[in-house]
Amino acid sequence: MSRKKQQALGPVGTATGLFLLSALAIACACLAILGVKLANAPVLQVEPLFPLAAYAVGVPLALLWLKLSGWKGDAGLVGAVFLLCGIGLVIQFRMGSFSQGLAKPAALLPFPLGLAAFMIGTLLTGKGRGAWLSGAGWLAYLAALGVLAAMLLLGRSFRGGTYLAGNLNPSEIVKPLLALFLASYLSRRQKAFGDTQNGIPVPPLSALLGLVALWGIPMLMTIALKDLGLMMLLNAVLIVMLFAIARRTGYLAIGVAAVTAAGFGVQFISANARTRFDVWLNPFADPTGKGWQILQALAAMYSGGLWGAGLGAGVPQSVPIVTSDFVYAAVAEEIGLVGCTLLLLVYATLFSRGLRAAGAAKTPFERLLCVGLTGSLAVQTILNVAGVTKALPMTGITLPLISHGGSSLITTLLIAGLLTGLSDRK
Amino acid sequence: MLERLMDLLNSDVGPDLLRALKIVFLAVLAVAALGILCAPTVKPGKVTSYGLLRILFAGALFAVLGYQATWQMLGYTNPAFVKFMRRYNRRPNAAEKQVMRGPLLDRRGRVLAAPVSGDVWGRRYPLGEAAAHPLGYYHSTYGITAVERVCDPTLSGYALDKRDEALGKALFAQRAAEGEAVILTLDQRLQQKAYELLAGRKGAVVIMRPRSGALLALVSSPGFDPLNPAEAIADEQNAPAFNRAVQGRYPPGSTFKILLAGLALEKGLPQVYACPGQGYIAGPSTPPIRDSEYYAYQRKGAVWPGWGSIGLKEATVHSSNVYFAQLGVESRPEAFNDMMVKARIREPLTYLHASGGNLQSARGHVPEVTKKRAIALLAIGQGEVLTTPLHVACFTAAVAADGRMMCPRLSKADSIEELSRLFSARTAGQLRAILREAVSRGTGKGVDLAGLNVCGKTGTAQAPGGEDHAWFTCFAPQRAPNIVITVLIERGGFGAKAALPVARALLQEADSLGYVRVAEEAAP
Repeated sequence: MSRKKQQALGPVGTATGLFLLSALAIACACLAILGVKLANAPVLQVEPLFPLAAYAVGVPLALLWLKLSGWKGDAGLVGAVFLLCGIGLVIQFRMGSFSQGLAKPAALLPFPLGLAAFMIGTLLTGKGRGAWLSGAGWLAYLAALGVLAAMLLLGRSFRGGTYLAGNLNPSEIVKPLLALFLASYLSRRQKAFGDTQNGIPVPPLSALLGLVALWGIPMLMTIALKDLGLMMLLNAVLIVMLFAIARRTGYLAIGVAAVTAAGFGVQFISANARTRFDVWLNPFADPTGKGWQILQALAAMYSGGLWGAGLGAGVPQSVPIVTSDFVYAAVAEEIGLVGCTLLLLVYATLFSRGLRAAGAAKTPFERLLCVGLTGSLAVQTILNVAGVTKALPMTGITLPLISHGGSSLITTLLIAGLLTGLSDRK
Repeated sequence: MLERLMDLLNSDVGPDLLRALKIVFLAVLAVAALGILCAPTVKPGKVTSYGLLRILFAGALFAVLGYQATWQMLGYTNPAFVKFMRRYNRRPNAAEKQVMRGPLLDRRGRVLAAPVSGDVWGRRYPLGEAAAHPLGYYHSTYGITAVERVCDPTLSGYALDKRDEALGKALFAQRAAEGEAVILTLDQRLQQKAYELLAGRKGAVVIMRPRSGALLALVSSPGFDPLNPAEAIADEQNAPAFNRAVQGRYPPGSTFKILLAGLALEKGLPQVYACPGQGYIAGPSTPPIRDSEYYAYQRKGAVWPGWGSIGLKEATVHSSNVYFAQLGVESRPEAFNDMMVKARIREPLTYLHASGGNLQSARGHVPEVTKKRAIALLAIGQGEVLTTPLHVACFTAAVAADGRMMCPRLSKADSIEELSRLFSARTAGQLRAILREAVSRGTGKGVDLAGLNVCGKTGTAQAPGGEDHAWFTCFAPQRAPNIVITVLIERGGFGAKAALPVARALLQEADSLGYVRVAEEAAP
């Protein structure tokens, strides 16, 4: 497709073209998975295919929605989101997440709901409309505190995380809420946080203390929830946003150092964190116990090799909890290092496009919101993939758009919708 | 249409078709990814386009990808990883698929764990929760533990050899065709019976052969389902996955008097002490040490007159704390410390040696004594002393085996090994006679089964925060003991009431199985 032709097609046209390519790839994957499934048990169940059907029908509807609303944003961004969604659905289909069919609608619903969230997101920020959200900053802050408080009061612990009834994990929504709050708060104090001396950021004490106090409350709540992964992620988002407002490399350097030190220090507070740290340093110390999961994940990758076992043809089930946190191990086993490279390329493009949209935004608030939302997705992806490949200790957070988990998928699609809207500056 | 699709996918062209689909998938994915990468983007902003952040995010992702490649492509260059893969990579397309995991058998060849054909992770445990602690589990999600873990090289068909340290992809395929069986010293029926007798109470039973150290039963209660250990692992309150028999540390109470009595006999200490009813005060700031009779009389509104002046035999028969506290104070600290070293109280006891590692008990605890007075409380198994049920069983077995403390053994393949010479044969003989009387007319009366000449010692150990722990440790018959039984009931109250009946029923069961009156088959 030549550039001229693409321009003639318009962003929605380009996005549609990209979606068709994605759908073709997904269709091939589905056939391969069905082939393996049928060879093992020659009974075709239709219900587990519902989410994939929702993909085939729902994404064109979402694109039609963009067309009708006159959206002229970044086609690559939309293309990346829907390709990743498709891969996520096909992997979850392959892992049998939908196999209970209508008996467990909680597994089938998230994608259609997520598409709705995507469209709401574009509606909120599209056509340069995003600036009004700035007024909702405090509301978002209070809502985030409310969600965290509800989790503290009503949540129950499961596998080291906290969930509400029905395994709902509403802490996911805290990410965009706090990003929105920070964007609104920081964009009004752009000058204060832009001060530097010899490259070292020195915001006035009052501004700094205010931020520390406001930020401290949700941080203490995440510590009380023992959701250290969420805490790491939120702090990384804060640092990225501080850097974005001041555009001083000092924030980035100090921030990276602080997060590294905090990540290192957290092992002295939480036994769980210390275990993860020890396993990261030497998984072979307890290969059949604590090191089991990460070593099985690495074994899955090794089995996949360069070209992968083929979708449906690997045995990623031997990795514990493979559908959620460790889904990347299943992907790596079945589509190989080549497939992983392509997948990470798509992620990288998504983040790059998100940041480009930030650069092009008209108001400082929109710019910051874009950076915050993109940053949360990027940091989450990096921490998850690094954890599964043992490049960093496990943080217990999901892979955006691919991991199993309704709250995660819906929230990520909402973020994607907001970014899609923000990329359209008209 | 669906039927036609099924026919197509089920036909012989299947694998070729799947390979083609895999290639097409990757190719289309590549085109889509490049399309997304090259799609027109928004016009760059006037202020910035965040080049540094974009590079940072992409750089981090691809640095991680590079690290991933060191495992995915070059994993075979890491010896530890090769070792792990060869043992635990249970992918059906790997060589392991052909290997049927070997069974675990008891001493008489009865199945304790067996493979399930056609299921790489399948396992069948006939004893279920009764033997989950010593055997462990073999679970795709929760890993491999206990005997299943340390014997895995044998069970999964490749014992540790020189090639294990070598490198190279070809090694992944080198495995024996069949997993081998591992034969344990356990007796399936004693194990089951002991678990049933604990009846869900928290506690442990150790049954062993005194002269060979062979463990006939190693039971911890409550048990758990080895096929589904999730809840047991998560239950921190009751800790059902915790092996109380070897990992649980408890004050040994009066069972510890066996060691002090042995010490006194070896050193020929003056052996008659006055044991007044009011008890014995070891030092100015220590509370009096009293016999349990003091409290029993007190409850009835009477005053305990005391045992009067008694010797070691009477004191052991009645389990007099007042006597043993004085005996402790009269012992030389060096002699006491030496006894603790010989009894291996502070060391973990290794009860299985295998190519995949060893199984060990927890360490017991006893302070290094410098002052005589400090021994008063330790002598009655209270204060700072902690032992595992396996430790108690092992020093009881030393009395039964003429003073030789043997290494406990769970695997038939392990050789018989003497850990230490705890007592002289003469002392051991005298101790047996004393412990016989403790059963025939003392605290252990309830276990005096006709014709078995049982010798034993009760224990009621105080522990902070609740009821006492109940102990009973015994062996039979007196002259040439063939079996040692140690029972612990956590928070069970009196040893004679809670633990002793369990030991009694087990002695009867063991006798009916021919373990008590028939000589041990593998005496050194």
